[in-house]
Amino acid sequence: MSRNCHLNGGIVVGEKHLFYSAAFAALIIFAGCSMTKPPTDSLARAESGARAADEAKAEELAPVDYKNARDKLAKAKAAMAAERYDEARRLAESAQVDAELALAKAETEILRRAADQVWKKSEVPPTQAELESRKPISQGAEKE
Amino acid sequence: MQVSAASLRMTILLITALSAACAAVRNPALDRARDVYEKARQDPAIVRNAGVALDKAGQTLEAAERLWTKEHDVAEVENLAYITEKRVEIARVTAQRRLAADEIQQTRSPRPQ
Repeated sequence: MSRNCHLNGGIVVGEKHLFYSAAFAALIIFAGCSMTKPPTDSLARAESGARAADEAKAEELAPVDYKNARDKLAKAKAAMAAERYDEARRLAESAQVDAELALAKAETEILRRAADQVWKKSEVPPTQAELESRKPISQGAEKE
Repeated sequence: MQVSAASLRMTILLITALSAACAAVRNPALDRARDVYEKARQDPAIVRNAGVALDKAGQTLEAAERLWTKEHDVAEVENLAYITEKRVEIARVTAQRRLAADEIQQTRSPRPQ
């Protein structure tokens, strides 16, 4: 009788132990999974970044950075397909910042060209507005 | 007692040397990113015209520094260092854009007398 009880107790302890080790194993497995999750968000962000660069004509206005972004995006997709998720995420993050830089350069270039044009317009007829604004004053002075 | 004091001193010396050696493990990409960021921080045109963009670069650099001291993950730190450098460049380009916009505004608006 007493031996039976002892055995029972032993089984209970053993089950508890099994439960804990199973929980621990599950925790490790889940932690591992979350670390190597497919980086779909990073890839999507890189993709939309490249599209925004497209719309700003970055391929023409910032070709080096634009090409960097596109090349890395292609590599990220390949790494994703090969289930090398860490590599894919890094490439996608890198591609995204390249696309952002290409976009920024393209926008700056467009504005710089606009500034040059405004500058030329205001300089070629040397400040016509200023000349005209002086006329009435000088005429007025002549009348007086 | 004397022996124990000597060994204690020896242990402290060893720990100091070891931690110094650990701190000395450098990452060239991270060093370069830090350099580029610090230079941009000292450029008033960037700080004034692209503060937000520069802060983003600073945050990425911080993450890279943290990861380097904690885990020494070379691939991840090099990636973050690259992103830091590109973010600094974005800040520089953004500042240039602001200046170009100001130029247009000034040329269009009547000149101050």
